[in-house]
Amino acid sequence: MAERDTKQVTFRIQRYNPEQGGAPRLEEFVVPTSRGMTVLDGLIYVKEDLDSTLAFRASCRMGICGSCGMLINSYPHLACHTQIEEFHSDVLTVKPLPNMPVIKDLVVDLTPLFDHHRSIMPYIVRPDEQEMENPTAEFGQTPQELNDFLQFTYCMKCGICVAACPTSASDKLFLGPEALAQCYRYCADSRDSGQRERLRLVDTDHGAWHCHLAGACSESCPKGLDPALAIQLLKRQLASQALGFRKKQLPSPVVSPPTESKTRIPYPEFSVKAKK
Amino acid sequence: MRTRFHLIHLVTGVLIAVFLSIHMVRSHLDDILGTDDPTSWESMMSRATDGMWVALYIALLAVALYHALYGLRGIILELTPSARAARVTTWCLIAIGIAAFGWGTYVPIHLLSG
Repeated sequence: MAERDTKQVTFRIQRYNPEQGGAPRLEEFVVPTSRGMTVLDGLIYVKEDLDSTLAFRASCRMGICGSCGMLINSYPHLACHTQIEEFHSDVLTVKPLPNMPVIKDLVVDLTPLFDHHRSIMPYIVRPDEQEMENPTAEFGQTPQELNDFLQFTYCMKCGICVAACPTSASDKLFLGPEALAQCYRYCADSRDSGQRERLRLVDTDHGAWHCHLAGACSESCPKGLDPALAIQLLKRQLASQALGFRKKQLPSPVVSPPTESKTRIPYPEFSVKAKK
Repeated sequence: MRTRFHLIHLVTGVLIAVFLSIHMVRSHLDDILGTDDPTSWESMMSRATDGMWVALYIALLAVALYHALYGLRGIILELTPSARAARVTTWCLIAIGIAAFGWGTYVPIHLLSG
């Protein structure tokens, strides 16, 4: 096995503890890095070998949970989804995500993000509550209807879009790209009938129309979603409703699950021969 | 509710482009159109006493004021986000808009009426 090249990279990490007071400061740590190593790996090295008081949030290490969002070289990234080598630099500056209050070091308070998310009714609303509580069948949805909003279901609430958004930076009451995109996700769902109520919630001074369409949210999303598109589609729904073009959509009906399923791929039949 | 105001904002933007284009063509393309000098006293007075031109300029003033003040309101509310700031800003801008519209329409209406 060939010897792996190692390179010393200086991590300049913002340290801040509100309980101790003082202004945030940058502290430097030299990290031996190798090919394929992520920024999160570097931070774990710092915590385990250099300074155990460093605080950062991480969980899955594979870009699924959305816990390790941070500002790396002035750009919001997931630390586990960003390789150190990508920057072609001997110095990496790591700071907490902007537009959110800092709890400690690289850990930000995501409460405003979740408050905004919760405020737009991020769940299916239907008139048949009994069926919702005690389902007897399925809510029908075609693949085409699913495609209308499928990409927005991949949002993992990491807050990177909000950190990148210039409107969220200046307007703390702005709902933000995450909540607005999720609002569209549920409004576009054919199983839902809560569009009118949800559109009323985003038709405010700090709602959908406050988006400047900078597109930074779509540019920065680590899952490749396009929240800016969702907000534009949400604006179209708002305009259609205000002008009376929007037809009242009934939620998709309850359909019985298929009684028998056709096997698309002929599975080979395996049988274990008994030893004689 | 915000949607209606925003749609009016978009429509006034288009109307400004249309009305301003008419004004620019009449005021600056006299050589091409073969019309009289638009800066002469007689030409200005003829436009000021023509109902169509007066209506055009008053409409231009109205849509430009709405477009400008609504845009300004959006900027102010983004920088000072609070319900009280929104209320005060809205009423101040409505007052400024009405005052500016009254001031701007006084002369053409006065000239038109007599």
